[in-house]
Amino acid sequence: MMRRPAPSTVRWVILAALLVFWELFPRTGIIPELFLPPLSKTIAVLVKDWREYASELSVTLYEVAFAMLIACGAGILAGALTGGIALLRNLLLPVFSSLYAVPIVILYPIFTAWFGIGSQSKIIFAGVYGFFPVMLTTAAGIRTIDAQLLLAARSMGASLPQQITRVIIPASIPTVLSGLRLGGALTIIGVVVSEMLTSAAGIGYLVTRYRTILDSPHVFGAIVMILLLSIAFDTLARAIERRTMVWQTAGRRQKEGERVDVAVKPATAVV
Amino acid sequence: MTRLQLIAIRLALLALVLGAWEVLPRNGLIDPLLLPPLGDVLKTLVELLGRPQVHEAIAVTAAEVIVAFIIAVPLGAAIGVAIAESDYLGQIFKPLLFYVFSVPKSIFLPMFILIMGIGFQQKVAYAAFSTLFVVIMSATAAVESVKADHVLVARSYGATRMQILTRVYVPSMMPILLETLRISMIFNFTGVMIAEMYASRTGIGHLISNWGENFQLPQLFAGVILLAAVAITFNETVRTLEHRVSAWRT
Repeated sequence: MMRRPAPSTVRWVILAALLVFWELFPRTGIIPELFLPPLSKTIAVLVKDWREYASELSVTLYEVAFAMLIACGAGILAGALTGGIALLRNLLLPVFSSLYAVPIVILYPIFTAWFGIGSQSKIIFAGVYGFFPVMLTTAAGIRTIDAQLLLAARSMGASLPQQITRVIIPASIPTVLSGLRLGGALTIIGVVVSEMLTSAAGIGYLVTRYRTILDSPHVFGAIVMILLLSIAFDTLARAIERRTMVWQTAGRRQKEGERVDVAVKPATAVV
Repeated sequence: MTRLQLIAIRLALLALVLGAWEVLPRNGLIDPLLLPPLGDVLKTLVELLGRPQVHEAIAVTAAEVIVAFIIAVPLGAAIGVAIAESDYLGQIFKPLLFYVFSVPKSIFLPMFILIMGIGFQQKVAYAAFSTLFVVIMSATAAVESVKADHVLVARSYGATRMQILTRVYVPSMMPILLETLRISMIFNFTGVMIAEMYASRTGIGHLISNWGENFQLPQLFAGVILLAAVAITFNETVRTLEHRVSAWRT
C-alpha cells in the first residue's frame, strides 16, 4: 500500500487546487464568468479600484469598532453579573438562551426605522448581534471557576476586590476571550449583513450595489475583502487566546468546564 | 429559591416589560409612531393572520425552512461523522473547517443569486449551505463524545458492529444529536430569513423588510413577534426532549 501524504501537505494541495480551479474553470467556460469571475480578474479589479474599496472598508471598520465596543462592554458586564450572582443567573440565563433561538436579523428593519440607514443602525444591530455570545460565554466562564480557589483566597483573608482582581478575572479570562472571538466575528457579520440589506456605504453595500448591476468581478472583489477581514480577525483573536492558554488549565473544574464547552461550541459557527 | 418562585418572578418581569410596551407609547412617553402600543400590535397580528397574502408567505417560508433542513442535516452529519471517525480526514480537514466556521456565510448570498436567481431554489440552497457547517461541527462533537471505554467494553463482551452502533453510539450521542438539530434549525431559520430579506418576492422575511422600508411599524412588530414565537416554541420543545434523553448518558 502506498504511504499516505502528510495531512498538512494535502491541506495545502487542496487550497492550491481551489485557487487554480477558481482561475481555470471560468476561463475555460466550465463555469460562466457571471457566476464566478477568474481569480486574476478579481484581483485586477481590487488593484484598479483600491481607492473605492479602501474608503468603503474604512466605513465598515469604523462601524465594526463601535459595535465591538458595545457587544464586548455590555456583554462582559451582563455576563459577569448573571454568572456571578446566583439569583440573576437562575432568573435570566434560561431566558437568554431561549431568546438566542430568535434570528436577530429580523430586528434589523426595526433598527433602520428607528435610526435611519446610516452607520448608527448598523452599529446597534451588530452590537446586539455580538452581545449574546459574549454574555453567555462570560457567564459560563465565571460560573466554572473552581470554588476551591475562591475558598482558599477567602480563608487567607482576601477582600472582595482582591478576590475579583486576583482570582475571578485571571481564572475567567480564557473563556471570556473565546467569547470575545466569537462575539467579534459576529459583529463583523452583523455589520456586513446590515450593509448588504439596507445602506448607502460600506463594503457590504458594494457587494449589493455591484450585484444589482451584475458586475461579478467587483462583487467578488468585495467578498475577498470581507473574507480577508474576518480571517485576519480570527487569526489575531486566536493568537491572543493562545498566549493566555497557560491560565486555562489552572483554575477550572474539569467536568463542568467540559460540559459548558460543548454547550458553547456549536454556536461558534457563523451565519 | 424554589422553581415556582423563579417562574413567578420571571412572569412578573415579563408582565412588566409587556405592560411598559403598552403604557409608555399610549402616554406619549415614547413616540407611538416608533413603538406602537402592544395592544395595537397584537390587533394587527390577528388581522394579518387572516390575510391570504400572509398565509402564502408563511407557506413559502415554511417550505424553504423544511427542505433546507432536510438537505443540510443528513449531509452535514455524514461529513461530520467521516471527519470524526477517520483520523486522517480529521487531520486534513479540521484546521480548514475552523477557518470556514469563522467566515461569514452571508457574503456568498450574492453568488447564489447570480447563479439561481431569487426564487425558492436559491433560498433553500443558501439556507442549506449556511447550516451545513454547524451540522458538521456538532456531528463531529457528537461522535467524539462517545466514550472509548464504553466501545471497548462492548467489544470485549463480543458485541457486533451493529450492536455497538445501536447500544453504545446512539444512546451516548442522543443528547448532542438533539442539540445539533436544535442549533441547526436556528441557523437554518436565520439563513432563510436573511435570504428572504435580501432579495425575494415572497415569504415572511420579504414582508418584514418591506414593512420596515414603508415604515409600517405595527405590521413589522407583529411579524417579528410571530417569528420569535415560532422560533422559541421549536427551540424549547427540542430542549425539553434533550433533558429527557440526557438521562441515558452518565
